[in-house]
Amino acid sequence: MKSALFAAAAFCASALPLAAGDLLVTVARPSNLYVFDAEDRSVKADCDLGANVTPGVIAMSPDNRIAYVLLNHWQDVVGVDIETCEKVFHAAQSEGDVTRRSLASLAVSKDGSQIYTVRNPVRKKTDRYEVMQPEFAVYDADAGLEAKPSATYEAPRRSTLMASDRNGQVYVAGHEIYRVDPSSGETEVAIANASWDRPSYSPPDVLAFWPTGSQNDEMLLMYTAAVFTDETQQEMADFVWGYQSVDLATGETEIADFASFEVLMFSAVRSAVDPKHLYGVYTQLSKHNLETQELVKRVDLPHTYYVINVSSDGKEIYVAGTNDDIGIYDSETLERVGEIRMPSGGDMSVSTLHVVPQG
Amino acid sequence: MKPLNQKAERVQLAAAEGQMEEVRAMQTVTAGCATTFDPGWEVDPFGGLAALCQPMEADLYGCSDPCWWPAQVPDIMVNHQSWDEGAPNAAKDWRALGATYPTDAET
Repeated sequence: MKSALFAAAAFCASALPLAAGDLLVTVARPSNLYVFDAEDRSVKADCDLGANVTPGVIAMSPDNRIAYVLLNHWQDVVGVDIETCEKVFHAAQSEGDVTRRSLASLAVSKDGSQIYTVRNPVRKKTDRYEVMQPEFAVYDADAGLEAKPSATYEAPRRSTLMASDRNGQVYVAGHEIYRVDPSSGETEVAIANASWDRPSYSPPDVLAFWPTGSQNDEMLLMYTAAVFTDETQQEMADFVWGYQSVDLATGETEIADFASFEVLMFSAVRSAVDPKHLYGVYTQLSKHNLETQELVKRVDLPHTYYVINVSSDGKEIYVAGTNDDIGIYDSETLERVGEIRMPSGGDMSVSTLHVVPQG
Repeated sequence: MKPLNQKAERVQLAAAEGQMEEVRAMQTVTAGCATTFDPGWEVDPFGGLAALCQPMEADLYGCSDPCWWPAQVPDIMVNHQSWDEGAPNAAKDWRALGATYPTDAET
């Protein structure tokens, strides 16, 4: 698989010059990285990555030219120029008898010079697996096609999503939302989750799979939790949705409940131009007012979607993942105003959907 | 509390011998797959079916790609990486998806 994936000629390009306006970046079966023009719904680039691209976790470089993708079943980081489809970066994290997978843990520094992963090393012995210490790995973005970490530090277990802020810090979702200094590995709790001080709450349940929101300078995750009538936690008062957010421009954090748990939602986003509204997706598309904690509107979708994003002007909502289409919705009315089909006809599964502002 | 299977029995034994530090959840062993403890694929969080993914095929590769439910769906992450070959669209190609079996080397 690996040799086939990274054969020299594996990256075949059918790219077009990029223009102004939002682009949508995702991956889909069988082996495609797609760049779409969000305005006219056209394909701008179709990069053949040479093998199964899912689970397709993507992080964009800050200049939005390079899509970094976790490939080879979460073992490798590959950087692809979305205009030319040229592979410009490759880090194979596994070596010898040690497998290192990153469970959706991938981020790029805001100056574009470094790439971060949390790698989970496991040595395969003849009779057992040896679970090793997870590592926060720092790669130099200009390290080329045989990149090795320039630094590694101990990382918390069960790390998933990552995001970088404009102060040079990196956030890692796990038992807590951690803040990591990539120059030293120093790690602290930015938002308490497992250790939150909410005596009348159960621990939160957080699904952290889709690294979206970078265009809005926001890392946004939702949680669900049981709320009890008092600290004895004998009688449940409600089961709630909440959101937790890191402002990636300032490093400021917030965490708050916003609704009762009425429907599932897998991912959420809010627009920088209208931050009081949160849009969540699963089999329904829901619009919540965070200030009043009211459900503004909810519509059924033609099928389940995992991932959601919002246009730069806040006017369109994009839902993707699962099957082979991106659904486009008006953010005011939640009417379906368009869709983009994957040209390959392949499923996106749990792939990321990035909105990439241009111009 | 009574263990219902051999694995639970071994966990109980480890607790009795003070060796719980050596017991690790499979989600920490990514070479072995399972990234989650979600209990099943058949019932939603409300105890019904309405909140499961619609249709089921929308969720098929979302479960098999990241090894979310390895007992119910073949694990493409580690053990059955070719399971989806020739079937890029679960809604259209599900008939091409077969059952999986351990190889001789795994038994």
